[in-house]
Parts: sequence; C-alpha cells; structure tokens
Amino acid sequence: MTLSPEQRQPQRSRVHNSGSSHNLRVSMPSPKKSPAILREVSPTPPVTQPSLAPVAEQATLWAAPARRLWLCIYLPGLPHQAVRDTNAKEAMAVFEDKEGVRRILLADKEARAAGVVPGLAVNAALALLPTLRLQERSLQRERQALETLATWAEQFTSFVSIEAPDILLLEIAGSLKLFGGLSSLRQSIATGLDERSFGGLLSIAPTPLAATWLAKAGRRACIQEEADLAGALSELPMRCLGWPGSVNESLSGMGVTHVGDALRLPREGFARRFGAARLLELDRALGRLPDPRQSHRTPERFCSEYELSEEASASDLLLNVCQELLIELERFLLTRQLSVQRVLFSFFHLKEPATHLILGCVQAGRNIEHWFDLLKIKFDELELSAPVIVIRLRSGQSQALTARTSKFSFNDTGRQQSEPIAHLVERIGARIGDESIHGVRTVAEHRPQYAWMPADPAEVAVPSYWCEERQRRPLWLLPEPRQLHLEQGAPVYQGALKLLGRPERLETGWWDGDGIARDYYVAVNPAGIHIWIYQDRRSKGAWYLHGIFG
Amino acid sequence: MADTLEKLLQNPRLWRGRDQAGNSNWQGLPSGYPKLDRHLPGGGWPQRALTEILLEHYGMGELQLLMPALARLSKPEDHEVSDEAGWIAWIAPPFQPYPPALLQWGINLSRILIVRPRQESETLWSAEQALSSGNCAAVLIWLDALDDYSSRRLQLAAEKGQSWAIAFRPLAALSQSSAAALRIQLISGEKGTDLGILKSRGGRPVVLRDYAG
Repeated sequence: MTLSPEQRQPQRSRVHNSGSSHNLRVSMPSPKKSPAILREVSPTPPVTQPSLAPVAEQATLWAAPARRLWLCIYLPGLPHQAVRDTNAKEAMAVFEDKEGVRRILLADKEARAAGVVPGLAVNAALALLPTLRLQERSLQRERQALETLATWAEQFTSFVSIEAPDILLLEIAGSLKLFGGLSSLRQSIATGLDERSFGGLLSIAPTPLAATWLAKAGRRACIQEEADLAGALSELPMRCLGWPGSVNESLSGMGVTHVGDALRLPREGFARRFGAARLLELDRALGRLPDPRQSHRTPERFCSEYELSEEASASDLLLNVCQELLIELERFLLTRQLSVQRVLFSFFHLKEPATHLILGCVQAGRNIEHWFDLLKIKFDELELSAPVIVIRLRSGQSQALTARTSKFSFNDTGRQQSEPIAHLVERIGARIGDESIHGVRTVAEHRPQYAWMPADPAEVAVPSYWCEERQRRPLWLLPEPRQLHLEQGAPVYQGALKLLGRPERLETGWWDGDGIARDYYVAVNPAGIHIWIYQDRRSKGAWYLHGIFG
Repeated sequence: MADTLEKLLQNPRLWRGRDQAGNSNWQGLPSGYPKLDRHLPGGGWPQRALTEILLEHYGMGELQLLMPALARLSKPEDHEVSDEAGWIAWIAPPFQPYPPALLQWGINLSRILIVRPRQESETLWSAEQALSSGNCAAVLIWLDALDDYSSRRLQLAAEKGQSWAIAFRPLAALSQSSAAALRIQLISGEKGTDLGILKSRGGRPVVLRDYAG
C-alpha cells in the first residue's frame, strides 16, 4: 500500500487529529473521480519532497483552521470597460499593439455582429466595419477601474484582493450573516456589478484558486465544502488554469485536457515534468496547502476627479458635479467607518491656474448634506477666474468615526435637536468668517480685560475659573476704556455721576509690562444707567469708563 | 344662545385676550421679576416667539432684565437629556458681553455663542440661522433697522426652531409695526428703570414703574 504524504504521519498524530477537516477530506474522496494523485506516490522519496513535507506538518499544527469562502469576480470585459465612452453609440473595439502589429483584443456586441472578432488585425476590422471606433488598450486605466471596483467591493467584506489583471477575490465567509446568507450576498454583489455595467462572472469556492478557475471557466459555481472541490475542479479544462501554452500543449499531448486528468497523474512524475510549483498550485486549489492572499489596501484619503465634457461656469452645473463627488466621498467614508474634518475642492481651468476651495468642519463628519450646505455658502463667494474643465475633490486626514449613542428620554422637551451646534457654527462661520463666531470662557486673572477669552464653541465645556470674591462686574465691557470728561474735577457720563459704594482697588500685572493700578467704582448717571468706571492712579487721576452694567 | 356663543368662541378671528393665552399651552418663562411676570400672559416671557425691547441707551438694564431667564435656559434641569439644547446666541452685540459678570448671574458659559457679523444683512441671516437651527434656546439680536417683513421672518424662525428671539432696537422703532409677540420699552424713571409693555399677544399694554423693585 502506498501512502500519501499525509498518511505518512505517525499513527498517533493521525488518531489525535482524526476530527480535523483535513483528514476528513482525505478519507472522503469526491464521489466522481477520486484524486488519485494522493495515493500513487512512489515509496522512494519524490523530488518534491522538501516542499511537500510541510504539508503534513502544517496540517497537524492547524488546530481548527477557520472556514474560508472565496468569491471570485472575473471581469473578462475589463479592457473594454476601462476605456469605453458611455455616450458614444457606435460599435467599438479595443485593440492591442503587440510588436507593431495591432490586433483586436475585444469587440462589443455590434462589432462582433459585423464580424469583428478578437485577434483580427485592426485594418481588417476597419474594412469590415468602417464606422468602428477603435480604442487602444490602457493597462493603467484597467488597473484604476479594478481598484475602484475593489474599493466598492469593500462594502461586502474587509478582505478584497486584486489578482491582476482582471480578477477580484473577496473573502466572504465572515460576511454571510450580515448579508443574509450566501445567495443574497451573491445577488447583491451581482446587482452592484450590473449597476456599474461590469459584466462579471462570479463563482464561490473554499479556496481562492478554485474560485478563480471556476470563474475563468465560466461556471457560476457555488462550492461551500472543501470535500466537493476535487469533483468540481476535475471537470474544468486545463486552459482555465492560466498556465503557459507550452505546459498546456505537452499536457494535452499526454491526453490531459481537464483538471481531473491532471489530478490522476502521479505526484512525483508530475512535479518532475512540470515543476513543483504547478503541483503546489493544484494543492492550493484543493485546499491541501494554505494560499495566503494580500488584501487590497485602499488609500486613506479620498481623491476623485470629474472631467466635464466641455468648459463650464454655470454654478448650478458645477454644484451638481460637486454634489456627485461628495456622494462618492460619503460612500468612501461609509465603507471605512471614517470621517473627515477637511475637504479640498479644486477647480481646474484650461489656461488659468486652478482655483481651490477648502471646506473645514469643526466636528469630523461624513454627512454630505452638511458639506454641501457649506459648499453652497462658500461657492457664492468664490470667484472663478475662468470656466472649469475638471473638478477634483480630495479629503483631508481622515479619522475613525466616533459614534455617539443618543440617550433615550421620556420627558422630551420638544425642542427639535436635528443637528449639533457645530453645524450651526460652521454655517455661520462659512458666511461671515470663522473668527466672527466664538464661545467664551473665563480666565483666572484680576485684570478685567484679561479675565475672559474667546473659546471654541464646539469644544467640550471646560469648567470656568472664577475664584475671585464676588465683586460686582458689568455685563458689558468696553473693548478699550474710554476717558471721561471732568466737570469741576468730577467725571461725567451723560450727566453728573454718583459713585456708589467703596472703590475696588486692582493693582496687578507688573510682571508682564501691562500692569494696572486702578480704583474701580460703580457709578450711576442721571438716566439711571449703572456704569463701571475707574480712576487711573498712574496718570494723574484720570477717569475712565470700562463697563456698563446693562 | 349658548350654541351661538360656542360657535363664536370657536371662530379664530375672535380675539379673546387673556383667556386664550391662559388656556393654551403657552407657558411663559418666568422672568425672575415677579412684578413683571404678573403682567405677562402665561406668567413669563413668551417662548418660541419674538420679543422686542426698545431702549434709548444701551445699559438701561436691558440685560439684567433678561439674565434670570437666560440663566434658567442655559442650565437645563437634566443635563444628560438636553445635550445640545440651551445655547444662547448673542448676535451683533454693541459691546463685549463680559463672561465674569455672566457667570455671576448664573449663566452657563459653555452655552454662550457670540456672533459678530460685518453687515446688517448678515446679522439678520445669522439670527435666522441660529433661531431655526433648533440648538439655541434664546437668540439676542442687536439691530438698528428691522422692517415688518424681517420681524415676521424672525418670528417664523423662532417658531420653527422653538427658540426665543429677543431683538434690541432703538426707541425710534416705536412707531413701526412689528410681528413681535411682545414689545416692551425701557424708560429711565425717577426710581430705577420703568418698563412699558407696548404690545403683548394675549395681554394688555401697561407701564411698570421700577420693574425690578
């Protein structure tokens, strides 16, 4: 009896490990075609043994590997998708320039109807269909489109992997519950792809390679158990594996046209003939080996551009575009649970330098309605030097969204609490200037003019210091003390003043060059206005008005 | 007979004076001056409406008149519930409102918002924003000119945001009509400041000598 690498483990460890899915898989070969490659290993150590040995060990070490499920999105039409112009109606084809020979890579439906098929020379295609619109393939734009799609796909799972050039892999085992099961998740992804008019092929399998191969073969498969993998993969033609043509040719020369045929070959001979890497690839596809993938890292900052079809300066149109960009930003932030405090709009002109518009917001948010309100206010004041051709929106530093739970209350006062105060502050600040709106706080300081400071209204209330003894202070303070006229040596303010009570002497601040030496009095004038005046003890007893009690 | 009377009472065009003010849900905000409260319908300042205060000079006691009520508004009884409520906006004040004195009057300083617009039109705009936002319990506005149309807008904004608008205006505005629910004027009297109620929705005009005394 020959032993598979796994079976060559010490017996004790097998018994110990008998419950693991790995051994289960070995003991339960697929009902259709058993992967004979497992069994027919020659007793002599195979060439690939160094690389195969870890398989057994790892299998023992994996106590309980998390169940994974991969959804593969295969986008065969991506080259066409990336360069197409949604407004154009004519038949269109994408060509590729290979060593000076330009050949059709992809053609749309109408072009195909006219006989334009992939592989045709461009001149021949034009002869067939003179109105054919030709676009050169742009790998850069394909990559961009794929990244955009990956960013979009992040709403379904936290793990999206870009497998260049036209494949996205989503790990969805963790998302099933949230999206209400496999079929509903698959449905929402498919719907989303349709909305973005990406004709994608979806397939689901427990390993990333298996999902990819199934999708490339055009199977809308949905395999959930690793045990079913071998059976499903066996039916796939070898070409979906994406192996080089020479390998495929020699395989078909041996009569190996399907994956199942390859799985029946002896491991040793297969590895010697086609390289250990290919054998490992098969192992990974069947889940016998781990297949780590790199997760797509979307940029932390949002940056998106909108190119207008022609120069425009109508503010309605520009605002509409800005709103579109903001909606995109909101989607970006929503999928990442982020918020931003600052966004930058750039309006590019054809001949003038770009006009920039920065919107800032006290409370980091992601609610675009608020951003749009701010934008409208600022936009009115913005002077565009020339018509705009491109609008770009970039977000500033983003931060994790801090959600606040609102308290449930029975005794609702009825006051509508639709928006936080910060929104009001920003709206007013956007129109009249941020410096013109502020809160206040007190400062522990005896000099009256320094005893307070403007404060940020959105900041959390800090306890105000007011430790002075309760001397009466006026509600109005004059920004600068106003010198009072003297009549017969006594100060007057709209009539003769009567001093009330005893003076309060403030003599302080000598250490910073702005010291005061004043005697403050409360005085009342004939009209009954109570004012706060002082006699400056330094400048020959001049009298000043400093506050009004109001 | 009773039937006819009932019909008549249900006619919204019939002015029913004090009764209507008393029986509606118009609960006034106590002003802190019992003498004044007695003459205000609802027993206090009208909430969710525009109040106009006409004065000859700044400093005639117009702020002291409001302070007890504002202190009450800025300190909601239940802090946890009214997280965002109770802001008091000062729009275009003629001098600097002095925080230590506000503190002495019991105002919660962390609920004060001071706005200094550059133009009169911005004053009205800011006031309307503050009133209708639903954040501000009271909005104090200093204005030289306020036409009928603008006062109506302020009144509507106050209703929308359930806020109390207080406009300070010069005595010259006496002859102009206004949509305010309450108009009062401050005159210096022999003993302290006299307060004249010029117009009061659901109340009667009256002059109070030395309202604080």
